[in-house]
Formats: sequence, C-alpha cells, structure tokens
Amino acid sequence: MKDYSDKRKEVVMKMRKIFLGVIIVTFLFVIGVIPGHAQKEVTYLSLADYTAAIAGLNVPADMGCEDYIKDMNARGGVDGVKVKFIGVDTRYDVARGVSAYKRYRTEPKLLVANAIGTPIGKAVAPLATKDKIVTLVPGDGEFQANLGRIFVWGPTYQDSFAATIDWLVADWKKKGKTGMPKLGYISWDNAYGKEYLRGGKEYAEKMGVSLAPPEFFPAGSLDHTVYLTRLAKAEVNYIFVGGVDPTPTNVIRDAHKLGLTKTIQFFCDYWGPTSLGVRLHPEALEGVVIVSYYLRGDDARNHPLANLWMKYGRGKLEDMNEVYTIGMSWAITFEAALKNALKQVGYKKLDGEAIFQAYQTLTGTERAGLQGPCAYSPTSRRGSLEVRFYQVKAGKVVSISDWIKAPDAVSLHKF
Amino acid sequence: MRPCGTFDERYSQDMAIFRIKRHWAVLIGALIFLYTFPLYGSYYFISLLNSLSITIIIVLGLQLVSGYCGQISFGQAAFMAIGAYTSAILTAKFGFSFFLALPISGIVAGLIGLAGGAPSLRIKGFYLAMATIAIHFVIMWLIPHLDITGATQGLHPPPPQIGSFVFDSDETIYYIIITVMFLMTFGARNMVRTRVGRAFVAIRDNDLAAEVMGIELYRYKLLAFFISCFYAGIAGSLWAHWIQMVHPEQFTLLHALNYIGMLIVGGGGSIPGVFFGVIFLRLLEEGVMFAAPLLASVFPWIGIHPAASMSVSVFGVVLILFLIFEPRGLAHRWEIFKASYRLYPFSH
Repeated sequence: MKDYSDKRKEVVMKMRKIFLGVIIVTFLFVIGVIPGHAQKEVTYLSLADYTAAIAGLNVPADMGCEDYIKDMNARGGVDGVKVKFIGVDTRYDVARGVSAYKRYRTEPKLLVANAIGTPIGKAVAPLATKDKIVTLVPGDGEFQANLGRIFVWGPTYQDSFAATIDWLVADWKKKGKTGMPKLGYISWDNAYGKEYLRGGKEYAEKMGVSLAPPEFFPAGSLDHTVYLTRLAKAEVNYIFVGGVDPTPTNVIRDAHKLGLTKTIQFFCDYWGPTSLGVRLHPEALEGVVIVSYYLRGDDARNHPLANLWMKYGRGKLEDMNEVYTIGMSWAITFEAALKNALKQVGYKKLDGEAIFQAYQTLTGTERAGLQGPCAYSPTSRRGSLEVRFYQVKAGKVVSISDWIKAPDAVSLHKF
Repeated sequence: MRPCGTFDERYSQDMAIFRIKRHWAVLIGALIFLYTFPLYGSYYFISLLNSLSITIIIVLGLQLVSGYCGQISFGQAAFMAIGAYTSAILTAKFGFSFFLALPISGIVAGLIGLAGGAPSLRIKGFYLAMATIAIHFVIMWLIPHLDITGATQGLHPPPPQIGSFVFDSDETIYYIIITVMFLMTFGARNMVRTRVGRAFVAIRDNDLAAEVMGIELYRYKLLAFFISCFYAGIAGSLWAHWIQMVHPEQFTLLHALNYIGMLIVGGGGSIPGVFFGVIFLRLLEEGVMFAAPLLASVFPWIGIHPAASMSVSVFGVVLILFLIFEPRGLAHRWEIFKASYRLYPFSH
C-alpha cells in the first residue's frame, strides 16, 4: 500500500508540473510575449471566399492578386518593400470574416483589407475605419455616397446598370423600334442582388425605360423557370441578369430552354459568364451582352500580364478565368498607392492613414489597361469610371465597344 | 463519479455540482482568469472569447432540445436571427435599452420557436429535422422581405450603454457576454437536474414509455423548444450588439449544421459537452485559418486557396471520425479520463 501511495504521489506531482507548464506557456502566448519577426514588408489581407457562394469569382481573382504580388516581390518589391499576401477563406460568413480581420489586424504594417463580399465588407468596415486601415469592396454605391475609408473596385453596380440602360436604348433605336423598351431584372435575393436597383431604378425612370417588377431568387437556386416566366409574361424586351457565375450562365440556360433567348436580349453584370461558362453552354449564351469594368475573353488572355497565369503554374492559358485580371488590377493599384505613400512618409511611418491618403492621389493611374484609369480621389471611391461591353459570339467573348464612361447613378438614390 | 474518499453525508452534498474545495478553487480561479482577461489578453483572443461565449449559449439551447429531449432541430440559426433582429429593432428603432431588449429578444424567439416545436407531437427524427429546416427557410425568407428589418441592407444596432458608459469595444462588451454565458450555463446545468430535465431525458430515451408514466409529451416538447429558442434569441441579441450589424446572410443553414456538429463532437446530453464541442471546433477553425497562409508559404506547391479551404474538409473529417470512433463525444472521453485519474492506480 505504501508503494502504491508513493507512486501515486509521484505521478500527481509530475502531472501538476506538466499542467503548470502548459498554463504558463498558454499565458505567455496569450499576452503576446512570444515576439514576431519584424521585416521590411507590408501586409495585404484578403478576406476571401474560396469555398462558398462567390468562390467562382474570388479564387481566380485572388490568384491574380497573389501572382502579381509574387512577381513584384521577385523584382524587388516596391522601393525595396515586399508585400505579404494573406488570403483567408471566410466562406462568405460574417463571423469568420470579422474573426479573420481581428486575427490579422495586428500583422506588421497591415495596410489594406479586401473584403470580397457585401455583408463582410459592411461588418468589417467600421472596424477597419477605427483601425485606419483601407478596405476594398466590390461595387456598393453606398460607399461612394458616404465617403470613408472604403474603396470600390471599379464603377459601382448601379453605374454599370445605368451604362447598360444607355446601351439598350441605343440598341432599341438602332433596331428601328418606336417608343421605349421594357427592361426586366433578375438576380440574387440579397444585398448584392438589390444593389443595382438602388440608383439604377431611378436612372431607368429618368431615361424613360420602364422596369418590370424585379425577380429575386435564392443564391443556391438550381432552376429559374418560374422567375423567367413571370418576366416573359411582363413582355420585357431586355433582361439584366445578376449573380456571380455560374448563376447567370444557369439563368440564361433556363431562359434558352424556354425559348426566351430568341426574343429577349440578355445582359449580364460584372460577374457574368466567363469564357469557361461560355464553353459549357455556347448555344444558350450566344448573343448575351456582358457589361464589364475589366478585360474579358481574348482581350484578357492576350494581355502581357496574362503570362503570369502560366508562369505560376495555374495551367493552360485558354483555361484562364478572366477574373484573374481583376486581382492583378487590385495589386497594381496597391503597388501604386504604396509607392506614393513610401515617397511621402517613408517605411517607418507607413501606416493605414498614409496608405489611405495615398489611395486618394491615384486619380488617372493606369493599371496596364486591365481596367479604366483609376478614379480614386478625395471625392471619389470609384476604382474607375469606364465600362466595356462584350458579347458572346460563336462561343467566344468578344469586345463590342471601347471603354465608355458609365453614368453616375449613385447620386440619384438616397442612401 | 465522486473523487476517491469523498462521501456524501447530507442531501445538499449529494445535490452539489461543486462538491469539494478543489472544485470551488478551480471555479473561482477560472472566474478570476476570465474576468481579468481583458487586462492582459490580446484583442484577438478577447474577440475569440466573445465569439465562443455566444456560440456556447446557442449550442446550450440546442443541447437542451436535441441532446436532452431528443428533438433534432436545424432551426437554431434562424431563431438566433429572430433574437438578433428583435434586439436590433427595439434598440435602433424604438430606443429600448439593450438590457431590456436582451430578455425580450429571448422571449420573442422562444414564442416563435413554439411554431418550430408544434410539429414535434406528430413527427420525429428525420421528419422533424425537415420541419425545422423548413422553419429556417420561412424565417430567413421573411426577414429580408420586411421593411422593419432593413430588408437586405440589414440594421445597425447601437452598442449597449449604461449611463454615459458605452460598451462599444470587444474589451468592454466582453463582460456582458461572459456574464450572460455563465448565467445561461448555470440555468441549463440546474434545469437538467430538475423534474423538467428528467422529463426531457425520459422523452428522449423512450417517449412512449414516458407518456405511459404520465409525462405530458406535447407540453414538455414545446417547453424544450421554447427554452432552446430562448437561448438562441439571447445569443442573437448579444451577437447583434457585439458586431453592431445584423444582416440576413449572417444566419444561414450552414451555421445551423455547424451547431449540430459541435453537439456531436462535444457529446449529446452533457452540459460540459457543449463547451468541449464549441471550443474544439472553433479553435480548429481558427487554427486552420492561421495555419493555411503559413502552410502555403512553406509549401508553395499547395497554393493559398486549397490550403485556406482546408477548414471545410477538416470539419467534415473530424465529424466523421467522431461519429465512428467516439459517438458519445469529447464529454465521454472526459468522463473516462476523470474516472481513471480518480481511481488511479486501480482500473475500476
């Protein structure tokens, strides 16, 4: 009995020591005693979606951003300062997005957080504003209407919708039709899906284009027949399809099955069918017009920077998703802002405030032709003002216009 | 199982949750650590604790209805949304104080949860699960289609306030969240020891036998749903005022599935199991989120995107492993560990 008791005491003492050690290490870790490594580098955070609703857009876009940054770092960085790209999969979930932001906000020289989705952007925006970090968001007009530290990637969604209205009015007249056309709208039943009409609806009224009651469907819908049938019954001449690909491809595929593509001209927004989607449904997508603020189709694949796709082992060039170029555009814009900020304050004083001021000086900055010239300024949060129209012809996405300045639809809506 | 050498001589000792001085010391130590944490903890970990606490409250509710009463529910995220929006509307639009809106949110969510519980008398198992999924979709369709909820734009509830002191940072609202979490845990832990808790367990184990014994099935099932949704509503209210933004896309079916997963991993029918499940899976998620960029930089051939997306597959793999090797969850493992520690060097 005495032996057992001594042995038990020994074991208990050992376990107490181990337990105490674990507590101490955890405590040290928690209070951040374990130091990080300081390097001459800045951080670019992407609160991305790699596995959920907008993965189709975000994965290739972040690939483009990451590859450009890798290439830039290989060339010596920006005036000797390297950029660290951190991509986090938020799964389009606000809680994960906010948690990821809070986890990485203490990264050395975190200057920009690219919030890929509308709800994450809105949740992270006040936190980033408090931390004086620049946030990038897709296309919400709200951030142009209420100027802050949130910058939009290109022209706002409602501006692109207004540009589409101008296009269809011209098309209507070219076809020799009288009166004004009727436009239908179908998109995701969420904040992004409804954003186009916040300003877009007012612009349509201003131009005399009548809008049929819009149709909204859940993001995961597999069939859109019911919604399309209602639009067809409303006798629309044009339909604007929202949603991130493959959603618009699926919508138009359903419209094609109903025979609507023969009588109604379909439009898609920025995130509409890419060349890959067109390869899958060439017949259904034939004639679809895509409004885009970035290069598409062969314009994108023939661009010199598209070589990075193959350089970094992403695959064959013909498999390159055009959205890849958006990511490069983000990186080029960041590079230009960083250059300006380093010139103004130097590396030691470089912080979110400096990069915010630098972003506002980028008016007119070219992004190697990937999108229109930068329009960021003290009074503008638009990434650019120009859009371009593409059309699906014989299974390819071809340009049918040059860069056109999109009308300002944001100012027509009360945010 | 009591620690070796601990004998109950009074009923109060038999009923006690914290039986010996060591238990009280650990509890008091934990309370001191948690309540002083904002003084020395990093912003990230304080925020993580806030998130964990809110999730614990939600899963506690789910444990009561699913783990103890055996009524599977996939509607927890939707009821959390009810609580969040109720609190946001009351505070942002009607000027209610957060401390009044909090219990009202729970009650409103609980009352609406009775609709979720209504089918439970007629159907069970898979069919009840489908009914709760349907309720989730009904609620989550209604919310973005009503003006009072801000439609798809959401609402921006103000932070809690007492006089001129505003709880508008993680470090300050932490105290409210932690306190509510402890109170809800205390409530749940005691509830399962009462007549109501025993009725829940009887219904879970054999509802026919329970009915024969005189337990009113419908009444207790509805009560289980009410309590569960009350917990979800409270968590929703805390969430809304912590994030200071409510948006329909914050409450998806995937979240509800996550909560069920936490229940499975932690262990059904156990209050400590809730803590184990929530902490284990959330830390796993955070760990993957932290490790992915590191992994991608050390092994560039993996690529940042497959590495960053690991959390989805890791969650699935972990769930499958637990279902195969430890279906009773981490709580069961904890019980085995405690028993072996207390009985050492004896095996039984």
